Amino acid sequence: MAVTHTGPDQHLGSITDSLAERLGHRLAPDQIITDLTRLRTYECDAITGYRVVPSLVALPESTDEVAAVVAACADAGVPFVARGAGTGLSGGALPVADGVVISLARMRRVLGIDLPNQRMTVEPGVTNADVSRAVAAHDLYYAPDPSSQTVCTIGGNIAENSGGAHCLKYGFTTNHVYAMTLVLPDASVVTVGGAGLDTVGPDLRGAVIGSEGTLAIATSITVRLLRKPETVRTLVADFDTAEAAGEAVSGIIAAGIIPAAVEMLDALAIEACEAAVHAGYSLDTAAALVVELDGPEAECDEGFSRVKEICTSAGTTNIRVAADAGERMLIWQGRKAAFAAMGRISPDYFVQDGVIPRTRLGEALAEMQVMADEAGLRVANVFHAGDGNLHPLVLYNAAVDGESERGEKLSTAIAELCVAMGGSITGEHGVGTDKACSMPKMFAEDDLAVMKRLRSAFDPAGICNPGKVFPTPRLCGERPGPYRVHPLEAAGLIERM
Amino acid sequence: MSRLLTTTPGETAASGRVEAPGTLTEVSALLGGTTGTLLVRGAATKLDWAGRVTDPDLVVDTAALQGMLTHNPADMTASVRAGTPLQVLQETLAEEGQWLALDPPSASVGATVGGLLAAGDSGPSRLRYGGLRDLVLGVTLVLADGTLARAGSHVIKNVAGYDLSKLVHGSLGSLAVIAEVIVRLHPRPPASATAVGPADAAQATAATLALAASPLEPTAVEWVSGDGTETGQLHVRVDGTTASTEAASRGVADLLAGLGIPTEVLSEPAADNAWKAHATTVLGTDDETVVRVAGLPSDLDALARHVSEAAAQAGVGARVISSAALGMHTVRLDGGSAQAHAHVLTGLRTYARARDATVLLRQRPAALDDLVDALGPPPSSIELLRRVKAQFDPTGRFAPGRFRPWY
Repeated sequence: MAVTHTGPDQHLGSITDSLAERLGHRLAPDQIITDLTRLRTYECDAITGYRVVPSLVALPESTDEVAAVVAACADAGVPFVARGAGTGLSGGALPVADGVVISLARMRRVLGIDLPNQRMTVEPGVTNADVSRAVAAHDLYYAPDPSSQTVCTIGGNIAENSGGAHCLKYGFTTNHVYAMTLVLPDASVVTVGGAGLDTVGPDLRGAVIGSEGTLAIATSITVRLLRKPETVRTLVADFDTAEAAGEAVSGIIAAGIIPAAVEMLDALAIEACEAAVHAGYSLDTAAALVVELDGPEAECDEGFSRVKEICTSAGTTNIRVAADAGERMLIWQGRKAAFAAMGRISPDYFVQDGVIPRTRLGEALAEMQVMADEAGLRVANVFHAGDGNLHPLVLYNAAVDGESERGEKLSTAIAELCVAMGGSITGEHGVGTDKACSMPKMFAEDDLAVMKRLRSAFDPAGICNPGKVFPTPRLCGERPGPYRVHPLEAAGLIERM
Repeated sequence: MSRLLTTTPGETAASGRVEAPGTLTEVSALLGGTTGTLLVRGAATKLDWAGRVTDPDLVVDTAALQGMLTHNPADMTASVRAGTPLQVLQETLAEEGQWLALDPPSASVGATVGGLLAAGDSGPSRLRYGGLRDLVLGVTLVLADGTLARAGSHVIKNVAGYDLSKLVHGSLGSLAVIAEVIVRLHPRPPASATAVGPADAAQATAATLALAASPLEPTAVEWVSGDGTETGQLHVRVDGTTASTEAASRGVADLLAGLGIPTEVLSEPAADNAWKAHATTVLGTDDETVVRVAGLPSDLDALARHVSEAAAQAGVGARVISSAALGMHTVRLDGGSAQAHAHVLTGLRTYARARDATVLLRQRPAALDDLVDALGPPPSSIELLRRVKAQFDPTGRFAPGRFRPWY
């Protein structure tokens, strides 16, 4: 993943200065960062291979202040990138060189809770888990639960249309948002959505959610809360092969059961998770399924018995049923720690996020194994088995010459394999910078051109998180890879700071 | 099929030429090879929604764009040509014990999948399954210049690219022809039961909020106001297995009894018949003014009172049919003068606006058009909506008048 740029261009220093001066009239000194050392904090999101130091970071505390920063950028023709907690896994919040980062970290207020109508209005910097925490005493919660939920923000979830382990049954962010206040790239402030489910005319709300910060900045978001289910039942079933586990998943779906979650971990993933969390997964199994059912007690218990039967007939070697909420939480901690835990078994790894039609799971796993063997690398698999969202983790050691390039290539090939199987290059991490160059594998030129028309309607000047989602010659012409010497750097034309 | 095809393909209708292309390529060629204004028509069940389209040069009828393209029962996805009537699709899917979890009232008069997406129509079960915008995974659009564009994919989880299927939801044919739709399916629940009981608007509101706060997870909560002085009626549906449905319907009946609403629990086929009758009630009749208000569930009682008082004052009959837990209320006005309808409609718009609710005009007598505009005050996003329209349909071919006076 090329470091496409390392810092502000000298000749643009004057623009940054005048921008900083203008913002100085509107924001407090501690809301503007121009110091290089502090700017570096914002140089990447959770995909750390892509790094660009922005020229200025603004920390607005209200919709008006966001609009003021955007207005200053628009007037100066300077691109801006909105940023939440920086936990994104596709380089969606990667700064633009010579651009501004608008951090929403200080917009953390809960603006209103409407218990009877089960909704809450929050600023974008509120974390996903804090939404649920604020209403837990009333037996309500916010359904989308990305693995990073304790730190990731609602604003970031809007940008990425985040899902989570429970989205097979409960859907994604887009299914749980009533309304948003948006600051558009021309600094105008509009509301999309409303008190009700539908507005008159095209669903702009739905078009913005998942647009990866390229259309607008959401500064106030009204989310739907759900009543906590009466009953939750969770089990872990071990299988000798991933195919057998996949068969169990198919059986569950065919029985007309929609589980709250079905997750699969392979042996490598289990090894890493256990090293990190000690959640009690079996270390001697090829694959483990985590199946969770929830709902009214009668429905849930009936379904859970069926699930146990189906796992048994698919040849499970062991079923562990979570005895209480504590044990359930431990099982989930193990699963949700999977990415972070990979450090325990490999110095470096690439995370992929491709989706396949669930029924082609066995085929996809076999093909991935062949590809991994050819590349001479290991691939750990953690995935949302119910919806076909794979998270292959390509393990490599950057210190070994050529391994990161091989890893990157394998990782991209796996994403593109998913498209070839009728799926998608990304189920929840987003396209961002990381997968922009794979978009033409999934969409025709006209598809992308029409999507860009939407972009033009929102952002005719192209200053709102440019360079993301759509392939650009600049990004895709250069071979990506972690910390590779930039061709211009090699030629002595630019310097790394 | 009960759709009204007033003209056959190729003929000249009063409103212009009608073509019914049978393939994606034909749609593209038709649009790319013509100029002039267009009206895209499915089963023609919602031609009166929002502004009326005036004198289109060409009617693009989707009647020949029929049939399921793919169905992957094990993945619970299907792709269909947009002109496929929902009922026809449901019959095919039922063979695998599945359905597109959508029960809009207009399905009974032939509404098509593409038309339903364009209109953003939904039914009582939206409470459990979401609306079509929640169930659509991808679309193939044909733009005014014939450009074909696909968005989304065949898998239920996908965030690659902009979600154009959401954008066309509610667009009422103003942005593009929806030619193909990919949808997520659900298993047909093996059993269903519906608790029915008398309730006025205040009781229905209290019951709706109490059900939402309970762990009962009903599939639908609908309230129909009474005729004249009669009390209204509450319908609460639960779906599942035989055992779970029994338990849930008992839970619902107990909860409602606690609120002073005695109920009778209907099982199939009585429940099914009750829901069919309910759908007819939502549709209204030709000479009525029918609007859909989308707001907060807790506002039902206040809204019902506002409507009944305004209607009584104006001398028109009024009924409210509410997807109570969804905050979606259909208001039907009948009898009285066009002026009276206009008065009630304008008052309702003011009422809704103060509550951040929206009002969509679905049907009205022609005389109303001279008295009140079709859309009411524009939202704050009006400039953005105009820019989206200008980007997708720069020459203004699609559905001229549909969003007049907004754009």
